[in-house]
Amino acid sequence: MIRAENLSFTYPNGLQALKDISFHIKKGEFAAIIGRNGSGKTTLLKHFNGLLKPTSGRLLIAGLDTARARTAELARKVGFLFQNPDHQIFLPTVAQEIAFGPRNLGLKGREIERRVAEAAAQVGLTEYLDASPWKLGKGLRQRVALASVLAMGPDILVLDEPTTGQDYRQAREIMAITKALHRKGHTIILVTHDMELVARYAEKALVLGGGRLLLQGPLTEVFSRDDVLAEAGLLPPAVLRLTAPYRKAGLIPGVLTPEDLFREVCTILRGEDHAARILPA
Amino acid sequence: METLIEVQNFTFYYGESPVPALADLNLTVRRGEFVGITGPTGAGKTTLALALNGVIPHFQGGRWSGRVVVAGMDTAETPCSRLARIIGSVFQDPEAQLVATDVEEEVAFGLENQALPREEMLPRIEEALTMVGIRDLRHRSLKELSGGQKQRVAIAAALAMRPAVLVLDEPTSELDPQGTQDVMEVLRLLNREHHLTIVLLEQKLAAMAPYISRLVCLHEGRVVADAPPREILRREKLLRELGLEDPPVAAFFRQLQRAGLYSRDLPLTVEEGREELGRLFAKEGIL
Repeated sequence: MIRAENLSFTYPNGLQALKDISFHIKKGEFAAIIGRNGSGKTTLLKHFNGLLKPTSGRLLIAGLDTARARTAELARKVGFLFQNPDHQIFLPTVAQEIAFGPRNLGLKGREIERRVAEAAAQVGLTEYLDASPWKLGKGLRQRVALASVLAMGPDILVLDEPTTGQDYRQAREIMAITKALHRKGHTIILVTHDMELVARYAEKALVLGGGRLLLQGPLTEVFSRDDVLAEAGLLPPAVLRLTAPYRKAGLIPGVLTPEDLFREVCTILRGEDHAARILPA
Repeated sequence: METLIEVQNFTFYYGESPVPALADLNLTVRRGEFVGITGPTGAGKTTLALALNGVIPHFQGGRWSGRVVVAGMDTAETPCSRLARIIGSVFQDPEAQLVATDVEEEVAFGLENQALPREEMLPRIEEALTMVGIRDLRHRSLKELSGGQKQRVAIAAALAMRPAVLVLDEPTSELDPQGTQDVMEVLRLLNREHHLTIVLLEQKLAAMAPYISRLVCLHEGRVVADAPPREILRREKLLRELGLEDPPVAAFFRQLQRAGLYSRDLPLTVEEGREELGRLFAKEGIL
């Protein structure tokens, strides 16, 4: 679905922000791009919608070469949710806001209505369609921005730090929606420095540091490379740090969340049968 | 210990709002404490920060009742400039609160406003930058600094006024995990070594819990819990109802507790957790 081949990018001022990056994200995958501020995450993202073009190498999105594709074409394939929803909101009602994209695609009456209703339902905004986005709380405004993106019908969703500045409940809500969209078949790219979020939701991770792709692979693999993560200025999620000494002894492998760890430890302490009785189905 | 902050039945409504942002709130902070205050968006954290430094009621319009007393002074009857010598404030977004172009100028800003003579100013700047560990950044442009460094400049600027208490409103919300931890370590040092009283309003429970001695939970403008963080983290229902973060290490051990497999205090850090897990396995003859 997304393929980067030796992608490099140098800003006009000479700063080389991306260095020889290659990866492949398959259709329907949930991938996290992780790295500290300044690691190249944002520069890479700007390639996904064609805002920046590779200085060398190339980036293919659903078969389109981003260096040649028109922005409108890419916008149908890739939807972006940015950190600050307010940069994406500008119309007087939620319904109008969500309809803006489809209208720009040249869609008409019924089809626009259908898309607005569907996108609003996917993010739980149906009852707010006539409200002004500005009267809604920040969590709901972010959902308006997400619905506007969904109404364009993109297969790929890129979420840039979707939980920063949100409280814990709002963060959980937006991630629950993301998870549901993933189940429906969307390819999800989550850009974040919250490793707990990655551990809970993503399937694979790409680690950026100093403009290079330092590491990529399934989460348990990526998160067991403390050395590379340290170089990238990242710490593995708490549960992985907690179990690190045991992992080295071959015990408790592949555990990412507190719930999984509880399951494993119950089994170790009490045996398979007993654990099954304690654990919720 | 001597009481430094006393909030007594304080209620505040923004403008004409029918819903109070703070509702009959009571809170006591003693000198030398490191208090964390948490709650979801809209619980009243920022309003409380503004009530402590006197912006409420001096500059922020609204209806209020009750009293806020800081170091014996009623905030409603004390000018903000006077309160600023007692309470240092640090806010969420370092970009929004920094006013100068380089670090030294930024830290000097508050002192200049107090018309402090230059020979008194320089050692204070030196002292404040040393306290937060960025003495080497003294002549750097603010533009070159990382988010975590900028936030430390903001803390230094507050410290240069030699306040008795530092009130920080989500100082790490724009920072990455490393930046967040750096700020927490600086706060710990200021509290332990320099005996500064710290009130930290923060949502990141996992990051904050190991550092604070007391956690106050706000909900709809009221204090709904006030206890050591280990005790609060035992209360899963409270965390869920308030929509608070459930730190993973504590969450795991709480599940063990419920299953009857663990009975000691909840660990707050990964290191504590490893020790407890090791103890548990050793008891069962595993490893």
